[in-house]
Amino acid sequence: MTDSTESPDLQRRSGLTRLKEGTYGGLFAACAAITLLTTVAIIVTLLSDAVAFFSQVPITEFLTSTSWSPNPRGGGQTFGIVALVIGTLTVTITAAFVALPVGTLTAIYLSEYATSNARSILKPLLEILAGIPTVVYGYFALVYITPALKATLFPEMSTFNALSASLMVGIMTIPMVSSISEDAMSAVPDDLRQAGYGLGATKFEVSTGIVVPASISGIASSYILAVSRAIGETMIVVVAMGAQARMPTVGETVLGIPFINPADVLLDSGMTITVAMVQIAGGDLTGGTIPYDAMFALGLTLFVVTLVMNVLSDIIAERYREEY
Amino acid sequence: MSNTPSSDTRSSDSLITTDVETGSNDRTAESRATAVATRDLNVYYGDEQAIDDVSMDIPENRVTALIGPSGCGKSTFLRCINRMNDMIEVCRVEGEVEFGGKNVYDADVDPVALRRRIGMVFQKPNPFPKSIRDNVAYGLKIQGFDGDVDERVEESLKGAALWDEVKDQLDSSGLDLSGGQQQRLCIARAIAPDPEVILMDEPTSALDPVAASKIEDLIDDLAEEYTVIIVTHNMQQAARISDRTAVFLTGGRLVEYDDTAKIFEDPEEQRVEDYITGKFG
Amino acid sequence: MATDTDTARIEGFGEVSRVRGIVFEYLSLGASVLGIFALAVLLIYVTIDAFDLAGTSPVWLLTYFVTLVVPFLAFCLYSARDREVTRRAVTVSGGGLVAVAAVFTAIETFVGQIPRLNWQLAYLFVVVAPLTGYLVYVGARGRPGAVGFGLVGRLIGGTAIGLAFSVLFLVFDERLWFLAYTIGIVPAALVYGYGRVRDVSVASAAAIPIAVLGVLVAVLLRPVVDVYPTTVFIYLWTLAIPIAAAGALLVNGRGNRTAALVAGGVPLALAVVIGLFGRAAGLGVGGPNALLVISVAGVPTAVYLHRVFDVGEGVTGLGVPVLLVGGALVGAFVVETFGIPTPNPWVSETFLTEAPSRNARDAGLYPAIVGSVIIIAMVAVFSFVLGVATSVFLEEYTADSGVIGALTRLLQINIANLAAVPSVVYGLLGLGLFANLLGFGFGTAVTVSLTLSLLILPITIISAQEAIRSVPDDLRRGSDAMGATRWQTTKNVVLPEAFPGILTGTILALGRAIGETAPLIMVGAATTVFSAPSSLFSKFSAMPMQIYAWANFPQEEFRYGVVAAGVITLLIILIGMNGTAILLRNRAERGT
Repeated sequence: MTDSTESPDLQRRSGLTRLKEGTYGGLFAACAAITLLTTVAIIVTLLSDAVAFFSQVPITEFLTSTSWSPNPRGGGQTFGIVALVIGTLTVTITAAFVALPVGTLTAIYLSEYATSNARSILKPLLEILAGIPTVVYGYFALVYITPALKATLFPEMSTFNALSASLMVGIMTIPMVSSISEDAMSAVPDDLRQAGYGLGATKFEVSTGIVVPASISGIASSYILAVSRAIGETMIVVVAMGAQARMPTVGETVLGIPFINPADVLLDSGMTITVAMVQIAGGDLTGGTIPYDAMFALGLTLFVVTLVMNVLSDIIAERYREEY
Repeated sequence: MSNTPSSDTRSSDSLITTDVETGSNDRTAESRATAVATRDLNVYYGDEQAIDDVSMDIPENRVTALIGPSGCGKSTFLRCINRMNDMIEVCRVEGEVEFGGKNVYDADVDPVALRRRIGMVFQKPNPFPKSIRDNVAYGLKIQGFDGDVDERVEESLKGAALWDEVKDQLDSSGLDLSGGQQQRLCIARAIAPDPEVILMDEPTSALDPVAASKIEDLIDDLAEEYTVIIVTHNMQQAARISDRTAVFLTGGRLVEYDDTAKIFEDPEEQRVEDYITGKFG
Repeated sequence: MATDTDTARIEGFGEVSRVRGIVFEYLSLGASVLGIFALAVLLIYVTIDAFDLAGTSPVWLLTYFVTLVVPFLAFCLYSARDREVTRRAVTVSGGGLVAVAAVFTAIETFVGQIPRLNWQLAYLFVVVAPLTGYLVYVGARGRPGAVGFGLVGRLIGGTAIGLAFSVLFLVFDERLWFLAYTIGIVPAALVYGYGRVRDVSVASAAAIPIAVLGVLVAVLLRPVVDVYPTTVFIYLWTLAIPIAAAGALLVNGRGNRTAALVAGGVPLALAVVIGLFGRAAGLGVGGPNALLVISVAGVPTAVYLHRVFDVGEGVTGLGVPVLLVGGALVGAFVVETFGIPTPNPWVSETFLTEAPSRNARDAGLYPAIVGSVIIIAMVAVFSFVLGVATSVFLEEYTADSGVIGALTRLLQINIANLAAVPSVVYGLLGLGLFANLLGFGFGTAVTVSLTLSLLILPITIISAQEAIRSVPDDLRRGSDAMGATRWQTTKNVVLPEAFPGILTGTILALGRAIGETAPLIMVGAATTVFSAPSSLFSKFSAMPMQIYAWANFPQEEFRYGVVAAGVITLLIILIGMNGTAILLRNRAERGT
């Protein structure tokens, strides 16, 4: 035992130790800073070439022109994003028709009905859906789904079409909807369920009438994330949807409203924003040309749209976390 | 194995406690030096005051118990001594904690260096998921101890009354031990670097009575070499093992601080008597 | 369940209709399995195509079913030692046969032909495959099963890692590695070992600087020195011997010096003999790669064997590799003898070892596999280091409030958003930043792996953070109270505890990286290269790129043959990686 009357030396820490501590802290901080730098680098990279692009192509033309042909054999290039947006919307909306209802029902099943055993089997299996490489999904769509649909439901379907691609995008995004929605549903306090049962509600009424409304912001946030994922999806559409930027023909009006026949967009090939980027990248990467810059303009569009959606989803999700 | 109160009862600076006449003690009768002292210590968690103006002198080589109802600030007080409260961001400390005459909250004090001289044992046994040997040698390792590690491990385990039970399995995991053994392992870990003071935060509350009584015996032995400051919920335990007892009541006020026998037999304060007899708290 | 309408009759409380509820429950169950079911069907078809099972004769299937599958399932049942499981397995396999055949025939008769599927195949996929999975799971709980699968896993995993190492030396200079190892790593290890044994902390602390210094000297010496041992000896000295030594040390730690010598020495001797003389003796294998693979697979196997014999339980499980190889050989023999027509699978040895070709039957994936392995190895290093460092910073070094707290929150939000940025945008980042601005070249390994590292970094960080957060605070406080500095607590307590979780998360993230295609296209990775890359800056392809390229070929043989084989190869590697990750996680969970 030391004699505590002598003043203990509490401040001494060797310079080496302090240097070591500081070095480690600094190194870790530097690594953490790389994540911030990544964001900055993405924005700067996209912006610098996008600005170059918009100095050549007016932004109004980019946003309103309906023709996309960056590398025409002869004649002028046109850079109108509208056809691409329509292609992207086609895929996104169709995929949403698959992923949102299926994902929501899955979430309800997992959170309300499944035994813990079933849950422990189903959840990892669902995760597999998100883990399959997208190029594989694209291949499935091209060589299995399309021929199957062609043989059974839609004989007039073309080899490259939006429908098969969208179905695969939908399946791929199911786990995104189901896992986040399930988290939200599991976060609903049991008191609420008990209250429902106490009033004589059936399990169905409790699930759909109490749990789902109580977790609605979580569900909404999962929808937005899934849609944002579908917008940015690349390889499935590249492989299975073809690469033709088409404007759908606006058909006869139904009740005075212009009408686009869904079969027209779904069964034929089309082009999304991501496909357009990949198509340019297949040819021209050295930089300095307008198509090269156009790629970054498209990338910027994609980045901004997905970023806004993610932030939105975060804000909504934050609300349900606060509620309980 | 209860201790009679210490002969020395230097008055603390607290206004509340009073000097009482000396009793007899089986340890020593001479006056003890002060190991740790606080001066006007105030601790706040955000806006809430956890310790209210506490001044006390804690004698060297004695067991000092801190008792009081939950939320009275006794654990906070304990954690001020080795500055574990620094880890809590909203925690703010005013006043002084003197350790060997130096205020540990001085700007030039390194809390890490401080903790190397003050051991701590926690409520729940928390051995590292390493071998028994590595657990005990942990403090030596981080402090760059250059002596014979194995010898020190053996000494410490003996000091924690655990050696005979584990000497053949030093390489097995500390987590394989029973709860009481784990806690003694944590005590061995705390004493291995030879600290001056050992802080114990309800060290027996997670243990069964048999394991707890072993720890109590051990604490008694530890006081031969170390200054022990122990927070406990259990008044019988405080009465059994401590030489001095400090009673904290709500709001983080030190209500009475005196020889243990005095506190339990004839407290000055009515509130303390009520608390001890179970009328309150 | 009652389907009655509303409420009370005279006696009792009556019943409330549950029809809607029941319909809803089954609807939601159906939804839950819809995606899984769709994927399963697609996987079945791609398997059939890749292995050319559609044209396989049922007799061929039956032969291997009897010689390979049945004995294996029997072993699983033996290991499980559960009457109930055995009864169920027999019922399912028997009843399933009848059910599948009946249902299948009914569909064929009334609905129409199901393309490229017959009832035997349907039985294989619908009954046998899931049953095998289940029995492996159950069998692994018994000692023999655990031992057998552990052995097979070590053999296969060791071989895969050994092959991966040999692939890495295609682009990394083994002579530089030789110098760095000899001058840097060996002295550092010796100093560290000396420090540990003699309790001299200065020596242990000096190990890392010595290693760094040695590696630097090696880099400087590499252009000067021009006499080197042959590749075989480099592998032997730098890899086989240390691995064998590590294995021997491990066994020695469990007590027995002779066993240690055997566990380290036998695989090493085998590796040396085959590596040096294999080709000459006409074994068909040999050379440096054989030496590498045998030692990487052999030493862990030997260590494992020692442990199994030491424990003495489930020793029968060691027969599993024999059972499998024997079954395959017997099957082959029967097929040969009776002239049973054999399928001509697209996934074959030539597919894995040859370069792409215009001719479907000659086409191979080899350069793309090599590219993927090299890229993944580099991504693993980058993302692991960056991921761990960042998550340690976020979990251990920051505060909740004040300026640092705000910064932490900003970092956290930023990481969450990065995780959701489309991969094609990362491709643009790689193109603009790494390929064009920094001049790492289009589609080179460096550009590709840096891009992919950034892409999976957020996922790695988030999972590493979870792993670190799951370390109990008690342990941190215990270490802090001992007077440990923050780094000491992190290094000695937090990271060892969080390590399995971090590793699992990293491997899962790597699984994401290995399948990414869009960013590779954006940075100009080659769709097809005809020879394995020879340097980090040569043109690279990767498995998904090659699949993408082939998927565009119009020929049936490519669409339904070569690409399917590529997809299966990619998926098997993915399953291997993710399976390893999950095993690691389960083991860590059981450990604590």
